[in-house]
Amino acid sequence: MTDTTAARTQTATVPTLTEDWLSVVVGLLFFVLALVSLGTVDLLGWAATTKIWTDPTHALAPFSKSFSGLNGLAALVATFLLLLGVLSATVAALRQDIGRFAIAFTATFWLAYAAWALGSYAHFAAVTPADFKKYGIGWSLRLTNEGGYIVALILGLIIANFFPRLAAWLEAAIRPELYIKIAIVILGGFIAVTAAGKLNLASSVFLRGIAAIIEAYLIYWAVVYYVARQWFGFGREWAAPLASGISICGVAASIATGGAIRARPQVAVLVSSLVVVFAVVEVLVLPFLAQTFLAHEPLVAAAWMGLAVKTDGAAVAAGNITESLILAKSAAEGVHYQPGWILGTTTTIKVFIDIFIGIWAFILAHIWTTYINVTAPGGRAKLAEIYERFPKFVFGFVLTFVIGLALALSLGKSQATQLTSAIGEANNFRVIFFVLTFFSIGVLSNFRKLWEEGIGKLAAVYIVSLFGFIIWVGFVISWLFFHGVKPPLAG
Amino acid sequence: MSQNDLRKELEQAPREPLLPIEKKLILGSLITGFVLLGVLLLLNRFLGS
Repeated sequence: MTDTTAARTQTATVPTLTEDWLSVVVGLLFFVLALVSLGTVDLLGWAATTKIWTDPTHALAPFSKSFSGLNGLAALVATFLLLLGVLSATVAALRQDIGRFAIAFTATFWLAYAAWALGSYAHFAAVTPADFKKYGIGWSLRLTNEGGYIVALILGLIIANFFPRLAAWLEAAIRPELYIKIAIVILGGFIAVTAAGKLNLASSVFLRGIAAIIEAYLIYWAVVYYVARQWFGFGREWAAPLASGISICGVAASIATGGAIRARPQVAVLVSSLVVVFAVVEVLVLPFLAQTFLAHEPLVAAAWMGLAVKTDGAAVAAGNITESLILAKSAAEGVHYQPGWILGTTTTIKVFIDIFIGIWAFILAHIWTTYINVTAPGGRAKLAEIYERFPKFVFGFVLTFVIGLALALSLGKSQATQLTSAIGEANNFRVIFFVLTFFSIGVLSNFRKLWEEGIGKLAAVYIVSLFGFIIWVGFVISWLFFHGVKPPLAG
Repeated sequence: MSQNDLRKELEQAPREPLLPIEKKLILGSLITGFVLLGVLLLLNRFLGS
């Protein structure tokens, strides 16, 4: 989870449908619409995608070649209108102001997509000598076209830190938590189709997912809690949400823990803000470190991103950037890995960690209400809290994964190609939700404001824990599990 | 709670010593975690071979 708004809404009126459930509905909608193209009707092939460009008029195109007659900008306008309609309906279901959302989303979408398209400029994105020749250029930053995520993040950061009024005006559409959950639901189908080609490797990724749960909850949490309590002198009310935020899954975990130990809502809000800021720094640094030092161990890099980068959005996005950087570097060396394995591994690890938030919150609630702030039996932790705190978008991820896997394993060869193409159309929307997530995370990261709130001491715990422990332990354990294991080669 | 209150609280909060249950939670988590990781690593090697 990536959004401090979750903490804010915790105390607001609870609508019938939560954002968590709505992300499942929207993610499934795109997944099902894409699957319709397995028949004769292509419902999403017209949506816009970007290509590497030197002339901006060639930056956009419809995703499917069967819509090649459609102008790229017209495809983008249609894509925007579909997203505006679907997300406005989501906001309506949350009983929030649609008008305000629509205006803010319009600006958010076009700013974020412009940044994404800028990332596809040939001097930023071209990687191979063939690309250089094709686009007639002599140099490139070799960021791949997914470097557009970084551009979107940086644009968001500029707005947050230099144009705070604009950031406040955009606030209604700055929903990284919603965007990333929808993206993860869609991603389930994509990962399934990728995994179907190599089930042995997929099962080993799942085993690594279980190891990630143990690392995050039993090792990281205990160490960070100890560091916060003993080295920095934090009280229990601060140390527990901080330990969960740093070691488990950022915002969701700190909010769940804050609720479990009955901490004041401000504690979770401040910890969540801190987590988002550090996630930004990690996304800007770790994928490039992974490309430099782990290009020959792609799955070690993938697992490392899932464990080291906090918040779902930033972790999965870091996995995506790592994949594009490592695949590009490998391609330049003549090794062409199948896309999807690095991103799939990072996502699987993150989702596995998410699943246990409810159980961990229950365990902490039990300890706190029974031994620390002893509460009358009626006020003690209840088993129902496990389900209440369970991240519901995981249901959507599992559902699209199971359906995608069943289809991939049961269809014939020609239909399997069609399935890959259909899932690709859903994945095109997943990319757009990623872009919105990146931009939103940037807009939420006002460094100056956080410093003024007195976040320095909390940040010190974060720095000591993350750079002194979590990153390295995550790396060592990822290495032990994935050293020598490579993604399948393309083709 | 204002920003100043929060900053003051973070700077001046009295130290709370670790309770026996917190020590149990920390040690129990670490021991269980390392044992389970060892088991998974063996399982990973076994499946790999």
